[in-house]
Amino acid sequence: MTAVILDGIVLGLQFGLLAVGLTLVYGLGGVLNLAYGQMAVAAAIVVALAMDAGLSAGVAVGVGLLAGGLFGLLLDATLLRPVYRLRGEAQILLSLLLTLGVAFIVDGLLTWQLPLEALTLNIGGGAVEIFGVPMRRGSLWASGITVAAFVALFFFFRSTMLGRAVRSIIQDEEGARLVGIDPNRMRTMILVSSGVLAALVAVTRSMSIPVTVTSGISFTIFALIVTVVGGLGSVAGAFFAGLLLGIINTISSFYIGTFLTLIILLSAAALTILIRPSGLLGVAE
Amino acid sequence: MLEIKAFSAGYQGNDVVHDVSFHVETGEAVMIIGSNGSGKTTLFRAMCGLLGASSGEVLFNRDDLAGMPAQRIVRLGMGFVPAERHLFPRMTVQEHLSLGAYPKRPDPETMSIVLDLFPRLAERRRQRAGTMSGGEQQMLAVGRALMSRPRLLVLDEPTTGLAPKLAVEAYEALGVLRDQGLTLLVAEQQVPLAMAFSDRGYVLENGQIQIQGTSEELAKNPEVRRAYLGVM
Repeated sequence: MTAVILDGIVLGLQFGLLAVGLTLVYGLGGVLNLAYGQMAVAAAIVVALAMDAGLSAGVAVGVGLLAGGLFGLLLDATLLRPVYRLRGEAQILLSLLLTLGVAFIVDGLLTWQLPLEALTLNIGGGAVEIFGVPMRRGSLWASGITVAAFVALFFFFRSTMLGRAVRSIIQDEEGARLVGIDPNRMRTMILVSSGVLAALVAVTRSMSIPVTVTSGISFTIFALIVTVVGGLGSVAGAFFAGLLLGIINTISSFYIGTFLTLIILLSAAALTILIRPSGLLGVAE
Repeated sequence: MLEIKAFSAGYQGNDVVHDVSFHVETGEAVMIIGSNGSGKTTLFRAMCGLLGASSGEVLFNRDDLAGMPAQRIVRLGMGFVPAERHLFPRMTVQEHLSLGAYPKRPDPETMSIVLDLFPRLAERRRQRAGTMSGGEQQMLAVGRALMSRPRLLVLDEPTTGLAPKLAVEAYEALGVLRDQGLTLLVAEQQVPLAMAFSDRGYVLENGQIQIQGTSEELAKNPEVRRAYLGVM
């Protein structure tokens, strides 16, 4: 049981970080990015290709993170421009349709051109024992990186001027403009960061299981479920919901079965919408 | 300091404000009075870059602000406090005041001026804006705007939602700022309060300036007395 819970925490941290990139973009720009998982996969494939080309793993990961950021920048500068100008339902709908299109295109291109490409980062060395449970080094590395990313995110939003500026836009965009904050520049920054986060999650994921060209949709679905449970626009919500759902996920795959697990996770999201629509730590509109 | 020339603005091609011209000199306190729906809010929002202007000029010192977005206008030294305040509900007083100075670090001297003016804010530095009373929120909105050290502070109906006693206190605070030499432009429905506070004023009705003059002149004007001061 301890082993299952520890595995759940490892997975949950990644779920949480994955959701942060989705939830921030939604909070800031009203964009629900359905191509989010494809951003992660595209970055992972870039890392794999870079390693195929002979680059060291460290450098290749750097190139992959950069690629994720560029993907975000490109989305922000092109397709999302008209979305920012809309409000309400029209904004959500247009963002869903446009990003779904991007998801199809990326999926299509990757399965057509590089159907067999996948990223696996092998962290060598034997297992390390934690609470009497042998844990793979890859999982520990992944968790360490994810926790570090969360610490950096919390510090950024709590203690830096720029982080406060981003939060202020989520809370009241007009108020933010009145203190001299340019929402467009902040959105660009957050889109780039979300691309880098997606890439980081894909990289840490590949330390446990291969990230393939068809992994995109499941990344997006997990990110969406965690976001719904955690509350839109909340980093802390994503963190706790990620942990919770990660643990639920491993327990249910271990004791019930993998096929039912996704249904259980989706039920958790549905239940959240019914009982607490703003999510665990989200704010009611 | 501020000169508005033949300014028109509105929503989606329907102008609410037509061909308005007025000016504010350095050190003055100027009011724009008018009833609900007269176009005061539209005029201010367009002037401050929250709403597109359709024609005319907004000259602030040497810059033409027409068509400039709000975030640039603030940095040029024109602060705006909207009637709905637009605070950040989940941020503390302290965070609002720091953000007011954005993108610079908050200046301790300005901070102490603001906290001296509104001692309530000093007591509640760690309180979140969403949990504060209307009067405190109004103080915070003004305080946040002051943190950018504006040369001109524009306020849209600063007494919105305030009990009469708090409305009087709000104008007392604005009076202190005026006496310290800050240039102020206020839109107000509560005309007696604004009149006692300002040097000059304009009456805006149906999106046009109908009457203008010093506050004393306006106080004697029979139309103003009938429409805004409740004198038959």
